[in-house]
Amino acid sequence: MAEELAGTGAAASDPDGPDGVRMTWNNWPRTKVEASKCIVPVAASISPIRPSPTLLVLPYHPLRCKPPCFAVLNPFAVVDFAAKIWICPLCFTRNHFPPHYAGISENNMPGELYPQCTTVEYAPPPLDHLSSPPPPPPVFLFVIDTCIIEEELVFLKSAMRRAIGLLPDNALVGLLTFGRMVQLYELGFTEVSKIYVFKGTKEIPKEQILDQLGLSTTNVRHGAVIGAPGYPKSPQSNGFHPSGSVNRFLLPAADCEYALNTLLDEMQTDQWPVEAGSRSLRCTGVALSVAAGLLGACMPGTGARIIALVGGPCTQGPGMIVSKDLSDPVRCHKDLDKDAAPHFHKAVKFYDNLAKQLVNQGHVLDLFASALDQVGVAEMKVAVERTGGLVVLAESFGHSVFKDSFKQIFEDGEQSLGLSFNGTLEINCSKDIKIQGIIGSCTSLEKKGALCADTVVGQGNTTSWKMCGLDRSTCLTVFFDISTTERSNQSGIPNPQLYIQFLTNYQGPEGQMRLRVTTVTRKWADSSNTEELVQGFDQETAAVVLARFTSLKMEMEEGFDATRWLDRSLIRLCSRFGDYRKEDPASFTLNPNFSILPQFMFNLRRSQFVQVFNNSPDETAYFRMMLNRESITNSVVMIQPSLLLYSFNSPPVPALLDVASISADRILLLDAYFSVVIFHGMTIAQWRNMGYQNQPEHQAFAELLQAPQHDAQTIIRERFPVPRLVVCDQHGSQARFLLAKLNPSATYNSSHEVAVGSDIIFTDDVSLQIFCEHLQRLVVQS
Amino acid sequence: MESASPFASGPPRQRPSMVPNPTGVVQTPLVGRSMAPSSSVPLTSPFGSALPGFSRPAATPFASRPPPPGAIPQGPIAGNGPRIPGFTAPRTLPPPSVQPAPPSAASSSIRQPTPYASATQDSGLQSYPGSPPSGASVATLPMPFVGPPASQQFGRPPTSQPLFSGPPRSQPPFAGAQYLQRPMAGSTNSQLPLAGLPTSQSPFLGPPTSQPPFTGPPTSQPPRPNTPQPPFAGLPTAQQFGGPSTQTLTGPPISQFVGPPTSQPYAGRSSSPSQMATPSSQPFSMPPTVGTSFGSPVWPSQPGQMVPSLPGNVQAPPRMFGMPPGMPGQPIPPVLPAMGHSALAGPQVSTQSKIDPNQIPRPLPNSSITIFETRQGNQANVPPSATSIFVVKDNGNCSPRLMRCTLNQIPCTGDLLSTSSMPFALMVQPLALPHPSDDPIPVVDFGESGPVRCSRCKSYINAFMRFIDHGRTFVCNLCGFTNETPRDYLCNLGPDGRRRDADERLELCKGTVEFVATREYMVRDPMPAVFFFLIDVSLNAIQTGATAAACSAISQSLADLPDGPRTMVGIATFDCSIHFYNLRRASQQPLMLIVPDIHDVYTPLHTDVVVPLTECRQSVEQLLESIPSLFENNKVSDSAFGAAIKAGFLALKPTGGKLLVFQSVLPSVGIGSLSSREAEGRTNVSAGDKEAHKLLQPADKTLKTMAIEFAEYQVCVDIFITAQTFVDIASISVVPGTTGGQVYYYYPFSALSDPGKLYNDLRWNLSRPQGFEAVMRVRCSQGLQVQEYAGSFCKRIPTDIDLPAIDCEKTIMVTFKHDDKFQENSECAFQCALLYTTVYGERRIRVINLSLPCTSMLTNLFRTADLDTQFACILKQAASSIPMNSLSQVREQITNLCINILHAYRKFCATVSSSGQLILPEALKLLPLYTLALVKSIGLRNDGRFDDRSYWASHVMSLSISLAVPLVYPRMISIHDLTAKENDGSLSSSNIPLSSEHINDDGIYLLENGEDCLIYVGNMVNPDTLQKLFGVTSVDGLPTQLVLQQFDNDFSEKLSVVMNEIRQQRCSYLRLRLCKKGDPSGMHFMSYMVEDKTAGGLSYVEFLVHVHRQIQTKMA
Repeated sequence: MAEELAGTGAAASDPDGPDGVRMTWNNWPRTKVEASKCIVPVAASISPIRPSPTLLVLPYHPLRCKPPCFAVLNPFAVVDFAAKIWICPLCFTRNHFPPHYAGISENNMPGELYPQCTTVEYAPPPLDHLSSPPPPPPVFLFVIDTCIIEEELVFLKSAMRRAIGLLPDNALVGLLTFGRMVQLYELGFTEVSKIYVFKGTKEIPKEQILDQLGLSTTNVRHGAVIGAPGYPKSPQSNGFHPSGSVNRFLLPAADCEYALNTLLDEMQTDQWPVEAGSRSLRCTGVALSVAAGLLGACMPGTGARIIALVGGPCTQGPGMIVSKDLSDPVRCHKDLDKDAAPHFHKAVKFYDNLAKQLVNQGHVLDLFASALDQVGVAEMKVAVERTGGLVVLAESFGHSVFKDSFKQIFEDGEQSLGLSFNGTLEINCSKDIKIQGIIGSCTSLEKKGALCADTVVGQGNTTSWKMCGLDRSTCLTVFFDISTTERSNQSGIPNPQLYIQFLTNYQGPEGQMRLRVTTVTRKWADSSNTEELVQGFDQETAAVVLARFTSLKMEMEEGFDATRWLDRSLIRLCSRFGDYRKEDPASFTLNPNFSILPQFMFNLRRSQFVQVFNNSPDETAYFRMMLNRESITNSVVMIQPSLLLYSFNSPPVPALLDVASISADRILLLDAYFSVVIFHGMTIAQWRNMGYQNQPEHQAFAELLQAPQHDAQTIIRERFPVPRLVVCDQHGSQARFLLAKLNPSATYNSSHEVAVGSDIIFTDDVSLQIFCEHLQRLVVQS
Repeated sequence: MESASPFASGPPRQRPSMVPNPTGVVQTPLVGRSMAPSSSVPLTSPFGSALPGFSRPAATPFASRPPPPGAIPQGPIAGNGPRIPGFTAPRTLPPPSVQPAPPSAASSSIRQPTPYASATQDSGLQSYPGSPPSGASVATLPMPFVGPPASQQFGRPPTSQPLFSGPPRSQPPFAGAQYLQRPMAGSTNSQLPLAGLPTSQSPFLGPPTSQPPFTGPPTSQPPRPNTPQPPFAGLPTAQQFGGPSTQTLTGPPISQFVGPPTSQPYAGRSSSPSQMATPSSQPFSMPPTVGTSFGSPVWPSQPGQMVPSLPGNVQAPPRMFGMPPGMPGQPIPPVLPAMGHSALAGPQVSTQSKIDPNQIPRPLPNSSITIFETRQGNQANVPPSATSIFVVKDNGNCSPRLMRCTLNQIPCTGDLLSTSSMPFALMVQPLALPHPSDDPIPVVDFGESGPVRCSRCKSYINAFMRFIDHGRTFVCNLCGFTNETPRDYLCNLGPDGRRRDADERLELCKGTVEFVATREYMVRDPMPAVFFFLIDVSLNAIQTGATAAACSAISQSLADLPDGPRTMVGIATFDCSIHFYNLRRASQQPLMLIVPDIHDVYTPLHTDVVVPLTECRQSVEQLLESIPSLFENNKVSDSAFGAAIKAGFLALKPTGGKLLVFQSVLPSVGIGSLSSREAEGRTNVSAGDKEAHKLLQPADKTLKTMAIEFAEYQVCVDIFITAQTFVDIASISVVPGTTGGQVYYYYPFSALSDPGKLYNDLRWNLSRPQGFEAVMRVRCSQGLQVQEYAGSFCKRIPTDIDLPAIDCEKTIMVTFKHDDKFQENSECAFQCALLYTTVYGERRIRVINLSLPCTSMLTNLFRTADLDTQFACILKQAASSIPMNSLSQVREQITNLCINILHAYRKFCATVSSSGQLILPEALKLLPLYTLALVKSIGLRNDGRFDDRSYWASHVMSLSISLAVPLVYPRMISIHDLTAKENDGSLSSSNIPLSSEHINDDGIYLLENGEDCLIYVGNMVNPDTLQKLFGVTSVDGLPTQLVLQQFDNDFSEKLSVVMNEIRQQRCSYLRLRLCKKGDPSGMHFMSYMVEDKTAGGLSYVEFLVHVHRQIQTKMA
């Protein structure tokens, strides 16, 4: 069974289809009761602005259904060309086409009605070219930690220089550094370098920050400073920046590149003395709130990112995660479990408020954490995730995980992340469908409606979400609830299809406003027929949704036993959808649509998402954020890494994620999403060490060595954040990166039969085989 | 004469000094009484007693005079109060002016010393060494005197002395020599035209060179009669004195009164005598003599003016006296009697119910130099007047500059003290500038063991510790405890009971020594000299030019900061936020670090905010240059003063140091922000007067709390207020007042005329001798205990005061109370110990010892009372009470104190039965005048601005004695006749009494109080004079903001010389204001005429009558 499962994750070329929507169940259970029997929640994973070569862009405004539906005209609408009427598939309301659709006919349909165009994008021109301002430039506010060692600062500076060079000329740039205090650079003041310094120990309300910076509109205090030399005097009149003088701090990249580079040249590590036995004092929290406050002076709607480069834990002020005392360790999962992390909840609350502020302003927080120790990603997670920010966790600013990821943000073209701003997502669906909420990088706008379910998952209680930052790979998981009442079921038109429409309004990388409309349809499963359900099951999506759901529960529910919950779910699922005879484990079989799920579950149970104790809370938070925002395909890799096998006599082939795949004369390439491991078998390593690859007669060997490298680079190039590349040899210490992911089919307990060149894993973990045996036994029991 | 004259008392005192002065003379008469009491003392004449020199001469006061020449200096010392040994100047007046006066004077009923008077002018002049008199011409006069005495050395250098000139300016204040020169002078050069001059000439420095005969001889004579020989005697010159003396007797009084007095004390007298003649008052004579003694006297110059004035004055007085009539009403009886008595002026009134205003006591300027030996014959000598010029020989007691007592004999019991009503306090000015010829203060290093101290009271070893038992033990002179002598400090005793090494060991023979402090005296390494400048860059400061002035002043002053790698500087600016600057940067541009949170301030950097001057001078200068332009368009009008000083403090916290703040507006935001309470107070009239004094209290405790914290970390704050409006000095001054700093006030700030003073003030502030992180304690003999300290400091524990910084000008008043009795012949000791760090980072303990005899005789108390010190004490007490009480109450308290003192004297010391006389103790004869002046001073006037009053109060609290008197009773001299005065002696020493009678419409007058300098221009001034002095041809053409330029003419040069002389003497650049008759500024000038009758106050004569009446009432 394992054999056939191998590599499925990476198989399909575009499993998401043109809509970027994947559902756990493509045939929906009809009732709530049935849905609950399905075990795996009814959920859809959507990629709101996933690029697609076939995407149709329409240069006009969409046609909408009458209130309260507001659904946009789509291919599923029933159109009466003669009467110029269309019927909304979601609410069945009849709408007249407006006059400018007068020419519509069966042969002359607007793009949004083409059947294949279930996803279209509207890019209407501005109503009035003359009056409307050009799109606001993106804003990048760099927030740099200076409480780092000299060497790290050098790395950081070089990354910054490169980033500055890549910025579009019109992008507004600001600079803020922090250590014990926060330094905000007034780039617009030319006579001297002018820096506003804030104390790191005190939380400063936004109004006060604006007031102190002289940006407050109501305030007289600094207001007049605008006139001071060095400030361009015009900007405040152009309407982007109600308090104009914000340009003192945010300058077009073209204008301040020199100044920024000079500042970077002179930037020093934090000079405050650090007592022996203490951590350096670092006020990440205040720095971020000052940054947020500053951006608060920008007009809402301006796409702005706070790009935080953090090199250590916040040790003072709001957002503090650990005291400065070195004898006081940074919290670990155990502390969190026992509620023994004294700063945790306060910090989370602080970042939660910060997130609210940023969401109100429509601004993004990106976090680049580079430190050997934790920096507080777990606490900051809420702010990053709510605003749709990016997060990268690395060991050092010199590490490629940081360097290359950081560069990617600013790159254009193929590599571009397609960073977009100010997204809002609205979901419309057929009646009987309720929305429980979304797991992912967004914030509920609390826009309640009839479509909201009673139970909430993630960001719920709304039909509309804010995504301050989103990019081409952003992925959200929507959880649905079925609320078919008996009445509606009977009286309702037996429409076998259900419709869901996703409306995503966003500001593209170039500042243009877009509305993407994705309308999908699915079938209601006949209530008596499990077969239909089985046929519509998407086990990859199900695995990912379960992983996301479990992660959420682990965070939200105290004392939640994830392993047990997953096991029970799996058992119940198998007993509902498996074929077996009671009390006969051997008789157990699963439909191919379910067949990999147990393996996914097996790996999920062992993954960093569930087995958090192997990781720090920061790492866990990081992994989960990535899990929540990546596509299904990528997320599956996080749960169950893919393994490729390179050997002399065959092309690279997917291999079983099993210790048995290790062999002395093979090279293995493991893609665990966060890390990519190239593993040389013992023999290969010896040959390589002896330099055979450099000898012409061993060209083949050189190619063999090169192949996995090449493939690894391909993976790395396409991924954000850049994974960590580990190159190791069998029995080397780094080999643990591979061994940890493999199914321990051979352990020290079972190793008597080990073949030469193979390997064993020192663990007491059960192997997949044993897991499956137990599963079968338990399933057939009940 | 003595006996005869109603003034009877007159004869007694010989105070040389007094005599000379015109005013002084007058006083003497009053003093008269004192004589009697004093008589009990060896010396018959009270004065005599007081004046050592004189005593001998006992018989005729005048006789005694002779000695003066040499003695003169001493004379003054003797306790006559009059300050002055040195006033040669006085003489000058007499000649010309006098004469005219006489007539009038004569007319006036006053009996005076006519005798001399007649002789007076002419005789007077001649009488003197002859030369002088004849020398009517100013110039000549001086010469003669010079000749005689070696004294010249001290001579007032004024004119000539090249010697001094050079050095002064250049040298840093610290230099021992310069004592006189203020950095100002030097500085001046650079900026101000005047300045330049001073340097060159610094007269003071010169002293040595100077001619005054007195100096030489004087040294020897101690004040006491006891003293073996009158120092004066020694000098042949004596004659001169003699001459004068005689005159003095007769004439003095008269002359003095004469309006002109200022300048011509002597002359005046002579003349006056003629007028006054009648006044048999020999007493006066005495004084005159004194004057004479000074010899140099003849300064014709003034006369010119004087003369005219005199007549007028003379007459005037009578009228003024209108009082008398009034008096008669009730007091008449008394008055009359008084007349009968010998009582001088006061009394006189009685006779005719008139007091001759020319005879009433006034301070006599004295510019001669005396030599003061602190002890002689194992007895403490009574120090010379604090305002006189003297050279100190430390014989066991400290220099009176460093510490002096209101009483030079200590009352044995508290009852005796309270009977006298006199204040009992020490004025300690521990780092006072020495005279260049003073004995230097020795530095004694005891090595690792540190200085020897009493093991019980911890007082330091001093000359009065008594070694017994072959030197094995010693008895503490303060607590009486018997200590074991440390082994390495053992020394055998000689036959006289002293240690054989007593003369070699400076701590055993000098009154003041500095011990090198050991580790034990340090809680950390001695701090470096750190200076942090905080500059206001708010709208107002920028627009008025205050910012630019401050930056320029700082930049120029950098050169005057102590050298060395340990000197650190920092700069910050502020408006509604605080801007620090990173001064150590790779790039050329300064880095501005803004602290916007003014409610919770902090320093933005750990390092580089305060940097070593040597490394970063260039960037500092560059920054200072660019600050005005950086903020030139600043529109922020708010000022976060409190937050700024807090931030500055935080920057200094690790080291301590001086924070120099330039502030232009009312602190309106942030920590310690203040409201415009003055305006609020005005609008709220009902509360107005009753609550007015509350506006002199700090608005709240915020700044006080901050200041205490500053002091704890050795941060001293000086504030330079360059304001145009109310800034609430009452609140702000708490900070400097608690941290050992001071307030400088430039109101209204003028970018034209004030930068010079600002720079000079700053320069002096930075370069004057000073110390850091100081702790001071005063110990006293058992029987007394310290009651209170007053001044600029922070007090955390009852016994010590903390001084984050202490400089040569800061004076601390220490009051005492009895807790036991003293034996009649014992001595009471005081020891002030100041532990401080020098600007070069050495830790030192300056120990200042003063041992004074105890007495159970009230007469002794009065005889040795120290008027200057007592007045300084009264002044400070008044200043500290104005925020607590209404002005009228304070004025009444002061007046009552004066009355009580005089009453005590009258009741217990004046033997004469004539109850009708107003009798003044010789030593305190100026007390009424000073009291009157104090009542009318800025701080106690009703019409003052609150800021002026607060500034006055804060200024006074740490004011030195020598500046206390002029502050209240300023010096006025005429300028229009400068060229006529000739180069003799000190140009500024011929004072005019502060009465409008002496102001003529065709005159130009200069009035200075050590702080401000007003130049008053009458409306009939000779255009030529105007042209020469100010470069304009008419009064109308005079600018309102005066910058004194030096023009190329004798007149202008002389004025510069005078200005610089004054500046040096006052250690202050003086704020120059031009006052024109008929203009508000003219009214302002007139408000300094304290002897005038004003809306709110009595005239001098009226006041005397008032005092007399009150005393009579009490007597009855």
